[in-house]
Amino acid sequence: MSTAKRDLHAVFNRRAILLSGGGIAAMGAITARLAYLQAENVITQTYTNQAQANRFDQRIIAPPRGVLYDRFGEVLAVTSPDYRVTLVPEQVGIKNLEATIREIGLILGLSEDVVVRRLRDARAAKRSDVVIIRQSLRWDEFSAINVRLPDLPGVRAESSQIRQYPFDIAFAHPIGYVQKPTQRDVDRVLATGDTSRAVYYKNPDVRVGKSGIEINLENTVHGKAGWRMVEVNAAGRVVNEVGGRTEEPIPGGGYVLTLDAEIQRAAMEQMRGQSGACVIMDIWTGDLIALASSPGFDPNEFVNGIGQQRFKELNEDPYKPLFNKAVTGAYKPGSTFKICTGVAALSAGLPDDFRVNCPGFFPFGGRRFHCLKREGHGTVGFHEAMKASCNVFFYQAGLRAGQQRIADVARMLGIGQKFDINVPGVHPGIVPDEAWWKANRDGYFPPGMTLNTAIGQGDLLTSPLQLCVMIARVANGGRGVLPRLVREGPGVPKPVDPPKLNLDPRGIELVLQGIFGVASEPGGTAYRQMGQLGLWYDPATDLVVEAEVAPPGYKQIQVGGKTGTAQVREITAAERARGVLRNNDIPWERRDHAVFVCHGPVHKPRYACAIVIEHGGPKEQYIGGGGAAAAPIAREVMRQVFLRDPSRRNAISLEGVQAAANPQESPA
Amino acid sequence: MTMSSSQSGRNRGIAEKFRRLNWAIITLLAALALIGVIMHFSVAEGSWLGRPLMHGLRFTAALTVIALIALLDSRIWMAIAYPLYAVGVILLLGVEFFGETRLGAKRWLDLGFLTMQPSEIMKIGIVLALARYYHGIDPRNAGTLLWSIPPLMMTVAPVALVMHQPDLGTAMLIAAAGVSIMFMAGLRWRYIVPAGIAAVAAAIFSYFFVLHDYQRSRIDTFINPDADPLGTGYHVAQSKTAIGSAGFFGQGYLQGSQSQLDFLPEKHTDFIFTMIVEEFGLLGGMVVLGLFGALLAMTMAVAMRARTMFARLTAAGIAVTLALYVFINTAMVIGLIPVVGVPLPLISYGGTAMLTLMAGYAIVLSIDLHRDQSSTRGFLW
Repeated sequence: MSTAKRDLHAVFNRRAILLSGGGIAAMGAITARLAYLQAENVITQTYTNQAQANRFDQRIIAPPRGVLYDRFGEVLAVTSPDYRVTLVPEQVGIKNLEATIREIGLILGLSEDVVVRRLRDARAAKRSDVVIIRQSLRWDEFSAINVRLPDLPGVRAESSQIRQYPFDIAFAHPIGYVQKPTQRDVDRVLATGDTSRAVYYKNPDVRVGKSGIEINLENTVHGKAGWRMVEVNAAGRVVNEVGGRTEEPIPGGGYVLTLDAEIQRAAMEQMRGQSGACVIMDIWTGDLIALASSPGFDPNEFVNGIGQQRFKELNEDPYKPLFNKAVTGAYKPGSTFKICTGVAALSAGLPDDFRVNCPGFFPFGGRRFHCLKREGHGTVGFHEAMKASCNVFFYQAGLRAGQQRIADVARMLGIGQKFDINVPGVHPGIVPDEAWWKANRDGYFPPGMTLNTAIGQGDLLTSPLQLCVMIARVANGGRGVLPRLVREGPGVPKPVDPPKLNLDPRGIELVLQGIFGVASEPGGTAYRQMGQLGLWYDPATDLVVEAEVAPPGYKQIQVGGKTGTAQVREITAAERARGVLRNNDIPWERRDHAVFVCHGPVHKPRYACAIVIEHGGPKEQYIGGGGAAAAPIAREVMRQVFLRDPSRRNAISLEGVQAAANPQESPA
Repeated sequence: MTMSSSQSGRNRGIAEKFRRLNWAIITLLAALALIGVIMHFSVAEGSWLGRPLMHGLRFTAALTVIALIALLDSRIWMAIAYPLYAVGVILLLGVEFFGETRLGAKRWLDLGFLTMQPSEIMKIGIVLALARYYHGIDPRNAGTLLWSIPPLMMTVAPVALVMHQPDLGTAMLIAAAGVSIMFMAGLRWRYIVPAGIAAVAAAIFSYFFVLHDYQRSRIDTFINPDADPLGTGYHVAQSKTAIGSAGFFGQGYLQGSQSQLDFLPEKHTDFIFTMIVEEFGLLGGMVVLGLFGALLAMTMAVAMRARTMFARLTAAGIAVTLALYVFINTAMVIGLIPVVGVPLPLISYGGTAMLTLMAGYAIVLSIDLHRDQSSTRGFLW
């Protein structure tokens, strides 16, 4: 071996060792870096936190909402299990969104229309939001999706819950419905500084009350959310439940309502095809037995997110199905207001033998105020005037009482009062007096106003609920009963005995006699509908039976009532000269409303009823004023009420329904 | 060397040669491949089918073949050195003009019967060719500037072609192997220092004028990983999270949350080292690096024991290539260098890298077995 070669071998050895050393040093550097990252983590926990944040996801468990029962324990609103398929756009990948949703559509057999709509939803949603593709899945559909999940990253099949309203349209208005919180709901809770609630509202399972009792009792019905920790993979799929790190949700409080599902349904049935409201109340306790507004709508449609087209349809329907006419509707009371005018005039000292000659009109302040009977009633006293609903008599009675006294009595009887019955949109009504006139109208208070007020027209506005309270407070002898819709549940106060109102007992007595004449004496404006109910009671047991003729020893069930026709348009002098148009000849929306109030049974008063039928019947046909369009409905519904007598039957307690729902928990 | 000794050498036969194979190196290779099988079992979430089985079978097959090849006379490597290099360059040119583009890079060549990456051939080809060059020249000229120009050109040509594909990782490996051999062959320090400075200047120049956008973005996100945490920076961020949260003993086998829950991308290929550290901790990482370090040392020992310049430089070049693989891969998963797509040899899943490295070790084992051969004359030509 040459020297040069030997030298070169030495150089090679030195340099090879140098390179090897460099390599070992580099690996040492790697090890040092590993150790450094871990040491950094020991101090800052950065990587541990990051890994935990990657790995664990806190999933909200929405609490089941409280169950709502009618007074006998019928379920009106309940939260049931629901299977659904959802996805998170960012986990699916925006590119794959369409293919994924189409794939789900294929598995579930969704129509092209639905697929396109869900795709639009998913694209409109925030990338990190959970988008519901389909809910209320059947078990086999749910299983089919579950099997395919591994091929559909970002898609979840979840078991969730859904609010159900078993009676569909019958309780749509008093109960209301729940929906996903909107951005407005989120903003509203944010405005109160409740950021955690705002975040919670973003959860796809969360539903909040949007109308009816569901919105007014939201805070207690909703319950408290729980959560669970889950381990997720990079695609967001749950790979593991994390035991022990769970907080169970606290279910919302249940409520027993005052409503009787049977009567509510009967009222809805009787008003079918018409636009109106029917309120039935216990005159002693204020329990609302029915609070019906027709037409109804199916609240279940709203829970699942009603389509825009369908919502538009409901919203633009001239019969206004979305509108709770029983409390939000405000109508002129028409002649039913003569109850107030009568009490006011009698307490103002109208003598028992006060009589008036009715020629069909009353001249006052250079104008003629007309009676509903053009040829006039002749000479009438209080009882005949009430029975025949003579305007001319009540013009003069009204003048005796004066605007202020009429207004005071009306307010005492509940008109113009905003009753809190745990539903939204309660209309306060309007009772015009001088103070109201000054606040709301210009110029001096025209004395002719009193004449309009006396017969329930002019500026007066009342809701069906207020009309029902009015007749109830007269029927119970002048007690200030307060209506209520909720019997029992969290935060519901114990009922108090209604206080005696400062009303003239003679006035109440004579008015009751008058309205008894209206409904139960031949010649009364509602006698045809209400005079013969075909119901009889045993004076010994109060047992009510249905029969053509009285069974031996039984007496007839009788009611007191008052008809009314609420003007929708003013009748001008020119029009009157031409001859007043028949209601059938004018457009539906300008026809008069039919109003009817009644109470019964007269021998032992218990129930009050108020009915308003908008524009006197359906579009196709004008049936008439209160006696014609509203009283027949009252007849049928009140017959049901008397036969069933819901107030005498034991209502169920909240404990009772809950024990019935969970028999295994109830003590043996 | 007498006729009889040669005869007796032949008489000692295959069995004796087999016994004299460098079993230490083979054990180390097998240990690393076994770690690969174990990790692929974890990647497969506890299933032997698929990658773990395939990885093990590939290694076993490759090991059998190289053990047989190692028995051949080592002078064969010198004979094929230049031809292999030439074939490599031609194939790289072929890629340049007829190559198949996959994943945005033109690396594959479809030869009709098989699809291959010629750049892999070049990883071994460059080592053999430069070793052959230095073997053939007068030792006195080995360190001079003039005689260093041909090996430099021999290195630059394939590096430029591979860079153009573009495949930064492989280009780095080839360049570093070439430079290391020139260094070990005795290139004088007075040329090394200015060359080093020039290389840094060239690197800066190429960042602005040669590198592709995706390569530049890798370097950018390496410098500032937070700038793109869901894009290129995502890999490194998730990898650092896994390593940082692992602790000294790791989260336990099959328990690495980052790996098992798929937050760690490419865990069966480029990021398998991260998974090893996540599940077996700093300790596991050190064991793997230690095994590679031992393999590097033993391969260098083979080089220094060899008699001929060709054998010495070839073995050393393969050792350097292995070390570079390991360093580039591990440095990239812990965020020390940009993500360049270099697998961890013998452990990462993938046939090509294993084939290349095992071919290299066929040569190393052969050199070790025939280390007493002093001359190449008389063999084949």
